[in-house]
Amino acid sequence: MKYFEQVGDVMRFGRYEVTRDEIIEYARQFDPQPFHLDEEAAKASMFGGLIASGWHTGAMFIRMVVEHMTPVHATTGAMGFDDLKWLKPVRPGDVLSVESEIREKIESRSRPDRGTVKIESRISNQRGEVVMSLVSLVIYLRR
Amino acid sequence: MKYWEDFAVGEIIELGSHTITEAEVLAFARQFDPQPFHTDPEAARRSIFGGLIASGWHTCGLLMRLSVDANRREEAAATGSPGLDSCRWLRPVRPGDTLTGRTEVLETWPSRSKPIGFIRRRNELINQQGEVVVAVVGITMYQRRPAVAA
Repeated sequence: MKYFEQVGDVMRFGRYEVTRDEIIEYARQFDPQPFHLDEEAAKASMFGGLIASGWHTGAMFIRMVVEHMTPVHATTGAMGFDDLKWLKPVRPGDVLSVESEIREKIESRSRPDRGTVKIESRISNQRGEVVMSLVSLVIYLRR
Repeated sequence: MKYWEDFAVGEIIELGSHTITEAEVLAFARQFDPQPFHTDPEAARRSIFGGLIASGWHTCGLLMRLSVDANRREEAAATGSPGLDSCRWLRPVRPGDTLTGRTEVLETWPSRSKPIGFIRRRNELINQQGEVVVAVVGITMYQRRPAVAA
């Protein structure tokens, strides 16, 4: 397990294949705007084709985090995130992966057994273009 | 249509409510956030949360859904978002909670290059006890009111 004191390296992980069906299914439930739902309407929009909801990209990101980081990091959850940017559209057929880097470590003053780690993550597509970035506030246990 | 010009700083927009079910919590978590306190009621009972809680990314999706529905009701000409300043998951969301969405307009400014304007909004989901469970400050883009031909 990696504790508060031990995290520090750049981490690269995950592989998420984005499908048309999943984009539409997510959009029906959470973000029913035409360019997320309907290929014809999306073609006529400024995006020129179907794109994933930005919150869907966030959900794909957390799936990759839970698969690759959570099992080996002593985390107890996240308080949230700052500075999220949706930089490029995510389209069917894209393959996403994550690069995460520690920005700051803050020891808790009230709970000496834990600390908050600010982790900047960049989610990229198969062409190496960053499609989304954010700074997560993750709570780690101390050794 | 409600255009960028029609939003005023300080305006509060009520987004409506959604009651979250255990089936929804489990389905989202199994697909996107498979941690035991989101996916397994028994394991969740033994966790620090004392019971099943929704993924924070699920609650953000619910806030988005309420915003999209409100935009549709108001015929607001929303054209997407470049990003968010912050998101805080303040309290656990549990099956059966009724979450009510609320938005406050914090700031508005026009695009210099495109016929759109930006609105910085604080969006919240509040549970049936009146507690804010998630707060998101972010930027939304809206179309400008078309000029009337002389």
